[in-house]
Amino acid sequence: MMHQYCVQTQHLHHAFSNGEKALSNINLHVPQGSIYGFLGPNGAGKTTTLKLVLGLLQIQQGSITIFQQSVQSQRRAILQQIGSLIESPSLYGHLSAVENLQVMQLLYQCKPQRIQDVLQLVGLPNTGKKKVHQFSLGMKQRLSIAIALLHQPKLLILDEPTNGLDPNGIIDMRELLKKLNHVLGVTIIISSHLLSEIEKLVTHVGVINKGQMLFEGTLEQLEQRQQQDASTSIYTNNQIDALRIIRDFNVDALIEKEHIIIPTVCNEKIANINRQLVSNGIEVFQIISVKNDLETIFINMINATV
Amino acid sequence: MQTFINCFKSEWLKKRHTLAAWIVICGAFFTPLIIIIARLVHHTTLATLYASKGFWLQLWRSSWESMAVFLLPVGVVLATSLLTQIEFKNNTWKQVHTTPIPLSIIFCSKLLVIIVMLMQFFILFNFAIYVSAILPYLLVSGVPYPTAPIPYTLFIKENGLYFLDCMPILALQYLLGLQFKNFLVSIGAGFLIWIAAVAAISWKYCYYIPYCYSIFNFLSGQKGGRSFVSPINFHYMAVGYTIVFTIVSYILYIKKKEKG
Repeated sequence: MMHQYCVQTQHLHHAFSNGEKALSNINLHVPQGSIYGFLGPNGAGKTTTLKLVLGLLQIQQGSITIFQQSVQSQRRAILQQIGSLIESPSLYGHLSAVENLQVMQLLYQCKPQRIQDVLQLVGLPNTGKKKVHQFSLGMKQRLSIAIALLHQPKLLILDEPTNGLDPNGIIDMRELLKKLNHVLGVTIIISSHLLSEIEKLVTHVGVINKGQMLFEGTLEQLEQRQQQDASTSIYTNNQIDALRIIRDFNVDALIEKEHIIIPTVCNEKIANINRQLVSNGIEVFQIISVKNDLETIFINMINATV
Repeated sequence: MQTFINCFKSEWLKKRHTLAAWIVICGAFFTPLIIIIARLVHHTTLATLYASKGFWLQLWRSSWESMAVFLLPVGVVLATSLLTQIEFKNNTWKQVHTTPIPLSIIFCSKLLVIIVMLMQFFILFNFAIYVSAILPYLLVSGVPYPTAPIPYTLFIKENGLYFLDCMPILALQYLLGLQFKNFLVSIGAGFLIWIAAVAAISWKYCYYIPYCYSIFNFLSGQKGGRSFVSPINFHYMAVGYTIVFTIVSYILYIKKKEKG
């Protein structure tokens, strides 16, 4: 069955005015109803990609479709259904939270009662006449999310939305986004430079570095890669003989410093290897199963492109 | 049309609590306040002054002298730059440009807010001039209410011409404010052009400088040594400059590669 993609980019290339290449052949596939984690270190091209998706940058090469419509020809209709938060909060510091929302409520032509609804939703119902420039960064971030949710969008694009939030704030935001996704079916694209921050939230992951996509797939696919990358370390008193014996079991084994590394094999095979080593007079000190966590896989992917 | 009205309301809301909004109020009352104080200080001469036939015209000229030469051009430079800079200052262009509002409506509603504020200033200034006439009459005993009729037609015409003459300043400041993130560029350029206009006021080609028309309008109404006769109709020049600056401003705004 063909996927219904909410956002799809095809062969997206972008270069800055100084000629520096920012993006190279970016093909994003964000399924309808997913929470898509867009990962990459600072300067990887996440914000540039999201700005292109939102029409804040002109498309130089490639194409973008959102809700199966071209961004270039259906800009207004598409933007009516998108809520966004790009980089740092975009708020009028001389106005109160309610006034900031009123500015946007007029532009989106949504009902005035939505203002209180979203303030309640992000936990800022009682800020009164306090000006936004007096808010903490966390409060500003919450208000920015309230603005993004004001017109009940079908797609939320959030660029590093947890910047400035304390641990409780991050958990609250995670729960809020899950609720929006599960209850209202809002598709969410959330960018971050930390996998650990969003791995409990996302259903799909795209990894970008130096303007190139390194991985795109479901979280399960990333976890499968985690399985593939798992290994077992065997510590013995005679590594040369141990390596020969292990290889007799048709296992790829390598000596690394003080231990031998083999790919993860079934428990029976490990037991047999151990028995054989011991019966050949080799002392086995430790057998350790090493599983890379998702963060390590992510970092390995990034480092592989450096 | 509803989109434009809502966008205008949204822009109008943004100017709340801003320095530009205070400039309009303070600027409108500044000169009339000075006139009130001066008249109260010289209260012995008021009875003759208030009985004179040219009372209103004389008050009008005194009120507009500093306004036309200094306060109006500088006020327009400041207010336009401050209002246009709101989005850069708050890092909100990206928020504005991801709303489903056509760019042309955003451009026009922002411009209209500044124009309406200028109109607001003219109304307040006219009201303040009237207050500056009435207050000494109410406060100083023996001063009669001015018997001369208020020359409404002349005042309305003069208001219209001054409004027209400061429109090129507004249009050019709007252009600069939309293009340059650095607030000092638009303010600095505005001040430099205004200083150039004042310095070159007696130069025969001064009418090419778009910031001098309110000064011309004031001087053209003077009699004697300070009178000024322009070789061309500078009001048409003001209209021409306004149209050109606005069109260029619009094209540059629409064509901007990065919108946030």
